[in-house]
Amino acid sequence: MSDSHDSSDFIKHLVNLFRIVGGVLVVGTVITVLIDINFPLSLAWAAVIGLSIALVKASFVVAIFMHYKWDKKLIWITWTMVLTFFFFAGMMGLILWSEGNIPKLDSALAISTGTNEIPTIWIILASMLGVVLPAAFTVLTVKLLNQPAPVEAAAPKAGRTAPKKS
Amino acid sequence: MEIPYTVKPRPDTGLYNAKLGIWLFLASEVMLFGALFSSYVLLRVGAEPGTWSMGLMDIYVGAGNTMVLIASSMFVVLAWAQLKQGNLAGYKKWKWATIACAVLFLMVKWSYEWPSKFAHYDVWLNDAKVLHEKFEKGYHETASHIEPGGAAHDNTDAHDGDVEKYIEGIYTTRFFKESSVTSEDEFKKAWENGTLALSGHINSYEEAQIDFSITRWKADFGVSRADATKVLAKFSEDKADKLLQDGGELYEKTDYDTAKLAEYELGQAGFTVALSVAGYETIKKHPWMWGTKRVNEDIGGKPRVKSLVFGLDETQHHQEITLDVGDIKRLSAYEPKHSTFFGIYYTITGLHALHVFGGILIMLYNMLPVGLALWHKDREQYTNRIETFGLFWHFVDLVWIFLFPILYIL
Repeated sequence: MSDSHDSSDFIKHLVNLFRIVGGVLVVGTVITVLIDINFPLSLAWAAVIGLSIALVKASFVVAIFMHYKWDKKLIWITWTMVLTFFFFAGMMGLILWSEGNIPKLDSALAISTGTNEIPTIWIILASMLGVVLPAAFTVLTVKLLNQPAPVEAAAPKAGRTAPKKS
Repeated sequence: MEIPYTVKPRPDTGLYNAKLGIWLFLASEVMLFGALFSSYVLLRVGAEPGTWSMGLMDIYVGAGNTMVLIASSMFVVLAWAQLKQGNLAGYKKWKWATIACAVLFLMVKWSYEWPSKFAHYDVWLNDAKVLHEKFEKGYHETASHIEPGGAAHDNTDAHDGDVEKYIEGIYTTRFFKESSVTSEDEFKKAWENGTLALSGHINSYEEAQIDFSITRWKADFGVSRADATKVLAKFSEDKADKLLQDGGELYEKTDYDTAKLAEYELGQAGFTVALSVAGYETIKKHPWMWGTKRVNEDIGGKPRVKSLVFGLDETQHHQEITLDVGDIKRLSAYEPKHSTFFGIYYTITGLHALHVFGGILIMLYNMLPVGLALWHKDREQYTNRIETFGLFWHFVDLVWIFLFPILYIL
């Protein structure tokens, strides 16, 4: 959290937020259980409802408990994680389409390509994402850790130039 | 070496180093758990109908544990807020509450959820006809009084088909969320082929009592006579010389472990021994993690366990039936090898529990004098350390938030 947010009032405001989020999480869990017990749902609906509630709960945890809301500087890490999510979702989607009991592609895409098989290019793109993501993550890590901070880089320079002047 | 930027944010990243570090670590954790989640979903969707036992999970225990973890997640952030305000006593209070919640979570897993599964069995039989007899015997009374939903039955005379209908109810809630054409078809198939399992606990069993005799001693085995006598003396002090010379009975009606240990040690000393089952003894115990091999093991042509008294699930007073070991095709506790479902279930919950355990260790370290020394040296750095731990702890909570609906509801 940045320095401007360190005031005592702000912390008090945060503590209130933490309590509210705690309440939201408990309510979310209770709703999940109540739905499961009271309504006989098919697997698909149970998955959609259960995971949606989980996603809402997770968003609150990340935004408030992990105070991501105030850590705007984490944007690069966020993008890595978002891409990771797309990678997993894409991989699962492809396998479900080819192996699972989910209907093959139909409608517009099938008509335009004249087949209801998954276009090969999708699989190639998904695999490339699988290479690009870990690579991006590695590069990001190495770059962040190797880069000298501007302030620190400036200090030794001044030190080196100083003796020459004298 | 002093680590730079533990307190002030680094100008280019805008974060103090530890925070950036923990977020990078969490990103790698997302990949680890993401892979396991994907595996779970794919295995779940690709499973043959009637093999995914998600109906066995106790949603109340799962929900209770979720609450405990949510509470701990809130406590850890409140602890950090106290530190931020310079209140060490308040911090300690919330931190101990966090540790207590984490320990409670692990205790529920370790001493209730997992162990209760290890003593819970599925038994598959060789013959469909025998299976139907066992079902009839075990469920007749319950099925004639109670509908699968739990409502009382009007007619006290059970007629044919009641038991089958009752079993179908159990089968549907265990493997399918609701009754459907698929579930009905699958049940009919499983019923006719006899591939349904009997579920319950082993209440007692008849275990072999073994007669153990020494046939002869091989002088050319490579062990000296004196050494062999010494080994034999461990088992029978006074008769050692005579047994070595002529052979003869060492134990009468001993238990399996004693006989097997003696067989191994004497075998190493060049003795040929013979084990035979003299009789069976009823033992009242709820054994853990038995497999088919464990009960079927051959001792001189007879099985190690003759029969099991099996207390059935979903019956009044856990109705007991007797199962002959010869009829059993497969016996498995609800352990990882039981099925794909339990395999991935233990993998994911186990890995998550390891994270919780690691978190407890770190929290304890931070609470001990050695960890608190940093607070007295540099308050801000200690506060930041607690914040980064908090980030890890919230992530562990986050994983559970997704695990709960996936494992207990889907």
